[in-house]
Amino acid sequence: MTTTLDPRRDPLTPQFADWLAELGVQPDDSAEPTALVPAGDLLRVAALLKADGFMLLDSVGLDYSQYTEKKPARFCVLHNVFHPHDHRRLFLRVYVPDSVDGSGGELPTLYPVWKSANYLEREVYDLMGVVFSGHPDLRKVLTPDDLEGHPLRKDFPVGETPTLFRDGRFLDPATFRAGMNGQSAGLSGYKGGQRRGEMNEPLPPVMPEGGPK
Amino acid sequence: MTDLRDRPITPVSLPEPTLTKPSLLHTEIMSLNVGPQHPSTHGVLRLVVDMDGEYVVKVVPHMGYLHTGFEKTFEARTYQQGVTYAPRTDYLHSFSHELAYVLSVEKLLSADLPERATTIRVILHELGRIHSHLVFFGTALMDLGAITLFFYCFREKEEVQNLFEDICGYRMNQGYFRVGGLSKDAPEGWAARVQKFVDTFDKHVDEYATMFQKNPIFLDRATGVGVISSELALDLGLTGPNLRASGVPLDQRKATPYCGYETYDFDVPTSTDGDSLARFNVRLQEFRESAKIIRQALARLKPGPVKDPNRKISLPPREELETSMEAVIHHFKLVTEGFHPPVGEVYVPTESARGEVGYYIVSDGGSMPYRVKIRAPSFVNLQALEYACVGGQFADLITVLATVDPVLGDVDR
Amino acid sequence: MALKELFERDWQELESGGVLFSSLEKLVAWGRSNSLWPATFGLACCAIEMMGSTDGRNDLARFGSEVFRASPRQADVMIVAGRLSKKMAPVMRRVYDQMPDPKWVISMGACASSGGMFNNYAVVQNVDSVVPVDIFVPGCPPRPEALIYAVMQLQKKVRGEAFDNYGTQLPMVDAWTR
Repeated sequence: MTTTLDPRRDPLTPQFADWLAELGVQPDDSAEPTALVPAGDLLRVAALLKADGFMLLDSVGLDYSQYTEKKPARFCVLHNVFHPHDHRRLFLRVYVPDSVDGSGGELPTLYPVWKSANYLEREVYDLMGVVFSGHPDLRKVLTPDDLEGHPLRKDFPVGETPTLFRDGRFLDPATFRAGMNGQSAGLSGYKGGQRRGEMNEPLPPVMPEGGPK
Repeated sequence: MTDLRDRPITPVSLPEPTLTKPSLLHTEIMSLNVGPQHPSTHGVLRLVVDMDGEYVVKVVPHMGYLHTGFEKTFEARTYQQGVTYAPRTDYLHSFSHELAYVLSVEKLLSADLPERATTIRVILHELGRIHSHLVFFGTALMDLGAITLFFYCFREKEEVQNLFEDICGYRMNQGYFRVGGLSKDAPEGWAARVQKFVDTFDKHVDEYATMFQKNPIFLDRATGVGVISSELALDLGLTGPNLRASGVPLDQRKATPYCGYETYDFDVPTSTDGDSLARFNVRLQEFRESAKIIRQALARLKPGPVKDPNRKISLPPREELETSMEAVIHHFKLVTEGFHPPVGEVYVPTESARGEVGYYIVSDGGSMPYRVKIRAPSFVNLQALEYACVGGQFADLITVLATVDPVLGDVDR
Repeated sequence: MALKELFERDWQELESGGVLFSSLEKLVAWGRSNSLWPATFGLACCAIEMMGSTDGRNDLARFGSEVFRASPRQADVMIVAGRLSKKMAPVMRRVYDQMPDPKWVISMGACASSGGMFNNYAVVQNVDSVVPVDIFVPGCPPRPEALIYAVMQLQKKVRGEAFDNYGTQLPMVDAWTR
């Protein structure tokens, strides 16, 4: 193994900027080595990187709809590419062009370039709802077939439900969270104060004959 | 607004697999469903296998039967609470996910980690790798019909779990790391117990090797089965032992060192065969390398603090709460609300027993992450199944699935 | 005819008094309780501890439950080990339906029993809403010792030696009607 590090690993070096200029893309303002790639340019850049020996490790789908900073588009896909020999890493940040009806968008698939894009893009499609045109097998991969919507979008609720137990107790999500972060008053459905030992539990109350006295 | 799922998608079939061995039967292609509840799938994986007689024509894995919604849940928990969730993804090498998550958040916060905390993390990270590979050898060989090794491997697995229990009070899913250090210091005598375990471990590794390396039945079933060439492995994005068995010496501990791995002396075992036997052998050698790292880490373990002294990140010690009002305020803020990292996006790659694990964390300045994306190695590695099994017999599929070693919690998240 | 009437009356008396079959039923229940064969239904982390409970140190075989059956049709008890996702729930119900009667279910771990720490869109919040559970085991994951204790408790239940919260004895499974 070589011990000298490639200077292009660090996004602050001039070599990194030169490398991105060679690829014909803009650097992105981020702590990680990130390049801003227009959606139409993605396949060209990917082919260049593939010819250079890069491998695709991950695809990250992001939904910026509730982010603090204004971003050019709601959805963004980051392709995490890595060079297995000189250990350079690059994130290709692709903003998904907003579709007219606001239901996500469409990107070209990377499957012709890297075969690993097969599952990774299916996952982004399943959880984030970004369509990859030209993908050979674009269908749900993780969520059940009857699940409506795309869970990792910000407008999809976490989906907390109370847990019902047989004896009528239930664990209320609001109470559960109130105990953790103290931001809301506990609406306790779990009668904590009245809790007794298992064996001393009284029999359930019975209505006396002739109604209440 | 139209539903995305109604959008017509033109189906393009995957490249036609070619049978390398001649089909004897020339029968109709038959589909066989394996799983999700099946003894030889590691967890709840479902495979639909198209078969021509005894030969596999096509394999289509169906995942998601253990989809737990980790990434969504992270968005509703504070950063420190997230440490509890991370180990549940890959429950065999749980410290890898814990470490990757903690390192990412620490990079976001620019936390300053004490030396002792880093060294203990390295020890636990490597013990976790040993734990994971022990379960791999036990179950993978059980799939091939060799039950004996299961009991030997689980004997040492119990030892490793005892060490975990000693240091963090739990056998699995530890949740021991904290953002900015460890939850508490190692108990007295723990390092000596680890030393004792590591000293005897090499002998046990030899014992495992004698049990299968010269067994002709095992060699018949593993040699030349499920060959993944290095080009295919790189194209499929494989990492970890599966990639190294195909001849690419990629190890994130060497490539992008974290936790001071560049100061340890160890080798990256590789093999050029790319078959199932190579994947067994690479993991067997990794046992010894992990033990070597642990020995070096134990030698440099010095007493000292295990938490970042920054009160904005780590909890103040208990005795300070009774004397210092400031400590009470910090404690209250950390427990009720947590810390607020700066806005940004970080990623720290680490090497788990299955490959590269990394958490891509997007922070919007709040006390909870805006988005957490887990780079799960098993999920990507599973793609090799579609390529490595084609042309082999159905029994070879079991071998390949066992040696690719997916953990379904890691696949489905 | 009087003899036949007398005989039938005796028969009914004996049966209602539980004299005729009770000893035999106890014998059957004793036999059943000591050979509870679990179906392999490992889902997540708990499955590793379930495997750990059969190893040399914990040795579930002492209680006759080490024979993990791959086919649900050969199993008596289903150990639901791990978090149950909503995609998996119908599969689990089908596996349960395939098991022959009498059958029992152990819900192993916090996730199976109450959803645990995963209160979200993907996880079933209580396995009891899919299949009837006999024993809940707490822990995340429970230790092998906890699982062994659960199997012992289940054995008590099978033998009719278990009590509910109010101190009422739970009935033994009727050996003949199923």
